Amino acid sequence: MVTPASTASQALTTPGIDLELSFTQAIQGLGVSPEVAHLLWLPLPMALVLIAAVIGVLVTVWLERKISAAAQQRIGPEYAGALGVLQPMADGLKLLVKEDVIPKRADGLLFTLGPVLVLVPVILSWLIVPFGQNLLISNVGIGIFLWIALSSIQPIGLLMSGYASNNKYSLLGGLRAAAQSISYEIPLALAVLAIVMMSNSLSTIDIVEQQNGAGLLSWNIWRQPIGFLIFWICALAECERLPFDLPEAEEELVAGYQTEYAGMKFALFYLGSYINLVLSSLLVSVLYLGGWGFPIPVEWLATLFGQSVNNPVIEVITASLGIVMTIMKTYLLVFLAILLRWTTPRVRIDQLLDLGWKFLLPISLANLLFTASLKLLFPIAFGG
Amino acid sequence: MKRLVRFITYTLFASGSSDRMLGFLKKVSDYTKDAFGAANYLVQGLAVTFDHMRRRPITVQYPYEKLIPSERYRGRIHYEFDKCIACEVCVRVCPINLPVVDWVMNKETKKKELRNYSIDFGACIFCGNCVEYCPTNCLSMTEEYELAAFDRHSLNYDNVALGRLPTSVTTDPSVQPLRELSYLPSGVMDPHDLPANASRAGQLPLEVLDFMKQQDDDKDSESSLKNTPEIEKSAE
Repeated sequence: MVTPASTASQALTTPGIDLELSFTQAIQGLGVSPEVAHLLWLPLPMALVLIAAVIGVLVTVWLERKISAAAQQRIGPEYAGALGVLQPMADGLKLLVKEDVIPKRADGLLFTLGPVLVLVPVILSWLIVPFGQNLLISNVGIGIFLWIALSSIQPIGLLMSGYASNNKYSLLGGLRAAAQSISYEIPLALAVLAIVMMSNSLSTIDIVEQQNGAGLLSWNIWRQPIGFLIFWICALAECERLPFDLPEAEEELVAGYQTEYAGMKFALFYLGSYINLVLSSLLVSVLYLGGWGFPIPVEWLATLFGQSVNNPVIEVITASLGIVMTIMKTYLLVFLAILLRWTTPRVRIDQLLDLGWKFLLPISLANLLFTASLKLLFPIAFGG
Repeated sequence: MKRLVRFITYTLFASGSSDRMLGFLKKVSDYTKDAFGAANYLVQGLAVTFDHMRRRPITVQYPYEKLIPSERYRGRIHYEFDKCIACEVCVRVCPINLPVVDWVMNKETKKKELRNYSIDFGACIFCGNCVEYCPTNCLSMTEEYELAAFDRHSLNYDNVALGRLPTSVTTDPSVQPLRELSYLPSGVMDPHDLPANASRAGQLPLEVLDFMKQQDDDKDSESSLKNTPEIEKSAE
């Protein structure tokens, strides 16, 4: 997708690789109008993100099974492909060919709409996830706020499917999911707000940019350790992962709102929950762990080797390094989530709400206030 | 929580008592301590889970690895047709009278003539009563436990099927035999890569027998030493 010549000619004006610009310029070079070139460009990142999300899910499912097995001194999937890497594919294929059942007394429309409403906002949120300077679908000004807004659509879908299933377990699961999502969104948003306050922007690109001044040392996790913890706890709760998986707690609620679902509709829930996990990990790495940034700034390394940052080869290396770093940080967090899953016991619904409203909310408010005062006191270090 | 709020308002607006202020501060510090304690426990738990990941899987990879059943394992019953005298004791001690002993009376020899013997392992609970009470020891328990079948009627073993010996786990070339946990040497948890002559923890039954015999001998010699004069006395 990158033609080195066009990148090199463009590099003088914009730092880093701009795939869209090079692509549209290359297309325009063939005598196509800019509008058509833009239209031709549009489906490419969309398809890329969909593929990336699905592959990310497959990898996560495999990791989840393998790491779970390791934590329990088992081996896990082993025979489907080397080390069982094809196991999630086999699972997906199985779900694909299974009968699509809608219970007789269920509300067919809402029942079908529920999983879609759960999955679509999650995939839409990938819009704002940057893998590099220009490697994201759209650098929306409201960036991270868009994600928060989109993620609050999800509980509607959960409630919808829980209610439409006409099953007491589903209804309870749906209600719990809604209660959980709503109460953990507030501390989550407040934690994000503290970050936004420091970087003076909602755009994910700017948030990462502002962390990459001095590599590892300038990552937000050092300036926002409490915010990081709050965000991570809330992200786990939003993803309904252990210890907050009570909407689908199998010991109490069979499978919660998923009880009546089978086949592809169940697969949508499954996909949604894992894409959400990967997305949350991605956002944690973007907000707190310097996104695509290498622990040592690439600019320093480039000058160390006497190369220009705008050198096409260096640019390609930087971009790939950025993608690799983002993915590495993300999967480190996914690993942590899986490890937490096998370490922590599930909380009760009252403990969950207690933690959300009486602990995380005041702490995140205090964190926000503290950040604000630090910003006023030390504008250099806290983005005044 | 409600009390805490009332307390805060009281302390801030109604009274300036330093006692109350201190109490409030103590509550805050306790709360913080609790939160940090919880975080500490969480990290400890994570360390435990993380440590488990580098350990070798404890699971037995079943069709390729199998555990060696213990000596007194109660598996499928073995039966020797030639030893059986058709006394039907096995039927009487069986909780559900399961063994079918098919015999006829030979009028000439005035003896029972055994024609068939069968046990249905789809119904047997492997209690071992028949083995325990068989007067001629023609019944015994094997270490066979793989009795899955497509048809439950094929679990009804006749005297030919009952007479077959199972493949031993230790002699099967396609299986890696593994010792059970209580048959591992003291302090060892992993049955893989054991030295061939590694003895299990504690004494083997034979060693226990030897020890008991030794003790008995000692006691006998002691008591004979002690008792000799008495015996002599009574003899006198």
